[in-house]
Amino acid sequence: MDSMQFPLYILLLLVMAAVIVPILMKEFDRKSKVMILGTLAIAWGMSLYILVGVLQSGAYLYDIGNWGAKIGIQFNIDEFSAFMSFFIVSLTILIVIYSIKDIEHEIYRKQIAGYYSLVFLLLMGMLGITFTNDLFNTYVFMEILAITSCAIISIKRKKENYMAAFRYLILNTLGSLSFLFGLALLYMVTGYLNMGEVYNTISDVWQLYPRNILLALGLMLTGLGIKAAIFPLHIWLPDAHSSAPTPSSALLSSLVVKVYIFTLIKVLYRVLGEEVITGLGVSTYLGYLAAIGMIMGSVFAIGQKDIKRMLAYSSVAQIGYIILGVSLTSTQGLSAALFHVTSHGLMKTALFLSAGSIIYYKGKRDIRELNGIGYEMPITMAVFTIAALGMIGIPGTNGFMSKWYLSFAVLEAGQPFYLVVILISSFLNAMYYLPIIINAFFKQGIDNKEKEVSNSSESMFVTEEILDNKQEMNVEGLPKLMLIPMSIIASLSIILGFFPQLVMNIIELAVNTFL
Amino acid sequence: MKASSEIRSSKGFGDYFSINCVFVFVAATLFLSMFVAMTLPSVESGIVGLMAIVGTKLVNFFISLESLPVLIILVSLIGGPIEAFIGRKSEGLRDFAVVDNNFITFIMILAMYPKVASGSIAYRIEGLFGYGLSFNVDMLSFIMAITAGILWFLVSIYAHDYMEIEAHRNRFYLWKTVTFGGVLGTVMAGDMLTMFLFFELMTFSSYMLVAHNQSNESILAGDSYIYMGVVGGLCILLGIVLVAAYTNTLEFVPLAAELAELGWVKYLITILFATGFGIKAGMLPLHIWLPKAHPVAPTPASALLSGILIKIGAYGILRVATTLFVPALEDISGYADPLWEVSQKLGALIIWMGIITMVVGVFMALQQSNMKKMLAYHSISQMGYIIMGIGVASYLGYRGSMGFSGSIYHMINHAFFKALLFMAVGLVYLRTHELDMYKLGGLWRKMPFTAFVTIIAILGITGMPGFNGFASKSILHHAIIEAYEYGHYSFKYAEILFTIVSAGTVCSFIKLFGYVFLGDCPEKYRDIEGEKPMMDMAMGGLALLIIFIGQSPNYILDRFIIPATRNLTYDPAFIDKYIVDMNFFNNHDVVSMVWVYILGIVIFIIGKKYDLFHLHLPTWLSCENTIYRPLYKGVRGLSESITKEYEEKIIKSDTIIYTVFLTGILVFFMRFI
Repeated sequence: MDSMQFPLYILLLLVMAAVIVPILMKEFDRKSKVMILGTLAIAWGMSLYILVGVLQSGAYLYDIGNWGAKIGIQFNIDEFSAFMSFFIVSLTILIVIYSIKDIEHEIYRKQIAGYYSLVFLLLMGMLGITFTNDLFNTYVFMEILAITSCAIISIKRKKENYMAAFRYLILNTLGSLSFLFGLALLYMVTGYLNMGEVYNTISDVWQLYPRNILLALGLMLTGLGIKAAIFPLHIWLPDAHSSAPTPSSALLSSLVVKVYIFTLIKVLYRVLGEEVITGLGVSTYLGYLAAIGMIMGSVFAIGQKDIKRMLAYSSVAQIGYIILGVSLTSTQGLSAALFHVTSHGLMKTALFLSAGSIIYYKGKRDIRELNGIGYEMPITMAVFTIAALGMIGIPGTNGFMSKWYLSFAVLEAGQPFYLVVILISSFLNAMYYLPIIINAFFKQGIDNKEKEVSNSSESMFVTEEILDNKQEMNVEGLPKLMLIPMSIIASLSIILGFFPQLVMNIIELAVNTFL
Repeated sequence: MKASSEIRSSKGFGDYFSINCVFVFVAATLFLSMFVAMTLPSVESGIVGLMAIVGTKLVNFFISLESLPVLIILVSLIGGPIEAFIGRKSEGLRDFAVVDNNFITFIMILAMYPKVASGSIAYRIEGLFGYGLSFNVDMLSFIMAITAGILWFLVSIYAHDYMEIEAHRNRFYLWKTVTFGGVLGTVMAGDMLTMFLFFELMTFSSYMLVAHNQSNESILAGDSYIYMGVVGGLCILLGIVLVAAYTNTLEFVPLAAELAELGWVKYLITILFATGFGIKAGMLPLHIWLPKAHPVAPTPASALLSGILIKIGAYGILRVATTLFVPALEDISGYADPLWEVSQKLGALIIWMGIITMVVGVFMALQQSNMKKMLAYHSISQMGYIIMGIGVASYLGYRGSMGFSGSIYHMINHAFFKALLFMAVGLVYLRTHELDMYKLGGLWRKMPFTAFVTIIAILGITGMPGFNGFASKSILHHAIIEAYEYGHYSFKYAEILFTIVSAGTVCSFIKLFGYVFLGDCPEKYRDIEGEKPMMDMAMGGLALLIIFIGQSPNYILDRFIIPATRNLTYDPAFIDKYIVDMNFFNNHDVVSMVWVYILGIVIFIIGKKYDLFHLHLPTWLSCENTIYRPLYKGVRGLSESITKEYEEKIIKSDTIIYTVFLTGILVFFMRFI
């Protein structure tokens, strides 16, 4: 069956595009835009085909070049990787459509070609990590991902970008190396790099080399903890995500971090197995870290003045939710975690993109300066509001369904303590998201006030009429290419809020591949 | 204002609006009387019989629709955006649409009656929110829905004229109608999840009404409303999740048997639900949003907030207290069954919360000079009555039907008279632009009709025999007496406080009426304009209802409340003996009301003589300043200082954290070697 090859084709397509696009692209004109989007559209079509194929005819293991699992690289194309790769490609397309207008605003013109090349490589890295069933291959993709992420942060060529990118690079290298060290130790005792084979042999060698395995586990967890920004190791995240160009922030925050969480899940459940991690108490302590992260991420977010930095800290808190779900070692917990991966991906993308639009249009980053912005940019702020309400967990958004599933999972696991943590965290979320919405829609900005003073001799309604007319003439100063992706993401959050089964049914299948 | 009225008349819908309103109002009256005729036990010949037959025919059409509850909600939820859309073209046409929309909803609610009377309407939409939404309209839901329907309809007529002084009218009508959808959804919900969803919808859409004015004051009031609303919502959500996870059901079914095995979790659930709904109900000490939000909202919104929204909180407590913590009818052996334990403890707590709410509310109301603020505090106090009734209902368990019926009855009555009072005050404000009652006076000459309906509402709220408040207050009085006869002796004090609060209410409204409508009219207001016909019509409608219920208190009780009671786990013999065909106008109750009035007048005279109405309590007494503001400021301040102090440090110590973390993990793993 030809579609068996599709995972590899996607990766090859992206690598080729990453090389060809900068060569063919002299100007950032219509032709090159079509080329970029066309490549992604083909990748999207293939990932959709993979997903449909897997749902219809079941999962399969794909050996690259038929080298066999023991020597060669193996892809595990199951419900989990098929769905998550589809999700990643879909969200990336929306972000790239947005970026076409926004990126001219953020980086130097001659670097645009390089930027898209990096985006293709980044996407390839993410898909590779999701597909692969091989530990060393995971490491390779992790390195690709780390370097390209670092590059799409520093491409903005500002001092804080260099600082953030450098910190990102150092810490991520630490993380990758820890992971590499860990997998080397595992290889030493088991003789395999393939996850399935390691899992089969690990119980036999456990008695012989417990030190190696424990050391390997510790190193791998720490490495992945850094990459996935689990709370005390989130250090690189706020700087990196807030200083990067908006499309990069959206990609990093909503997708790249999640991919490392996938690896964490794979290492915990596919390599070591449920008994080992519960026996070692890893899951318990992971839960504590998640709880601390949920609270502290929000606490730091409340203290921020910069809107993108606030969103970055909010990601730290939301990663806590996902890790909490993972740490429960139950079907429900893992489904809740994976559902939250999709909802957080959508919501955080919507938040970053709308925040980016405000920066694009008004040049304002400070939360306190956003008064009255809802009148000038109604659609952008509507998107922001929907996503922010989702973060708080208001019914009708996918964020609510995540919390709902997670609460049940927590109780199912018999740990009602975490319910209180979810409650406090939600309230803290409300404390930093609601003021922005309220100020945007109900308070008058400085510009508006001046307008009002000039019209104050007439009655209030006349000003409203004028404002209404203005809005009708030109809804928003933003290009349509930026508005449409945001609106699609916001409506997806609402659709998933009303019909969570659309995703949940597939996720439940995906979870079965782990437990 | 001139500009806006010009805009209106140029569009040419101003006059048509009045005609439409009159027509629809008459139609609504007709339908309501048909409805009353239908519900009467024996169809007499003549006009009443004819009306009953026509009514039944009409209703039969609607009955064929299975999904009526959903349709009713959709009419509002879809109607809201349509109204706002029309409003962009023409304001007059929009008001037209608003009134008609609410009228249609009202008729559809009425049409649910026959099915509700013979059981309940259940409808499920599969698939939404993973569990499906389920609707179940029983008598209790129906009572709430019909009250909301009447109120929304009349307030829409009223709002047309009033909203001239407010900006952003499209937004107001949009959220007003959406809130209606939320309210209807909450009361007609068939399971906890559905109820919660609509409850949240209601919280957020009514926030838009509270903060409508966009002045600093209303944004601050809105802030406390929305924050408390979010906390309340989260509490309810947690309660629902706990119940659902431990008993595996989301339905409103008697669960006492399952919950009895849960240990401390059942008390946590109780507290979570009481807090969540208590916030909306304005229960002390969770009431602080209420006296801020009600005065700053535009008057139509205040009328709705006080009339219905806070009742939804009470409705929530009632629903939960009468289902979740109550054993099923076939499970129990009698009054002393141990399964009543949770219900009893919850009840005792709620009774005292209700009493405290009542006392503090009326005490604070006496201190106010702002009329809307005073009415808001009275809402708190009246909610205290309702909450106390709910408390008695669950405290007495099997015998709690008196408290149950009293609190529902009071919800209906309070909705009518408090909405009417807010509307009257709103008309005064529209003409004078003054809310301080001490600066007004002698307005009865300018607004005789308003003064007249205000008297009716005041007689209602103070419980004069012959007006609606009397009936429900008597039942609640009986209920609290039962609480100490069958239960603990300490409720004797509760009964005394009950009487004092009623007297305080009397005093407070003597003050209101005296200062606003009687006395000398200040120079400033000599040539203000008087009544507004459409607003008068809306107020007149409510006044008629108050008198109608007051004259035949048994009608509502026998036709609606007792059927609602019979659906629940209450002793049927007890209901038959004490509540069916209750004689309201007996010597004892009437005489006790006379004492209340005398006491009220005495308080008023003493208060006026010694100038006690201008007392200002020390600020540390207000629980806003002692609890909520420090809490909010504390969380925010703490976060900011943590960020300031540690953010940089954490980021700078990047590799150290890594090392410590890794070492920590490895040391931790040493245990296993």
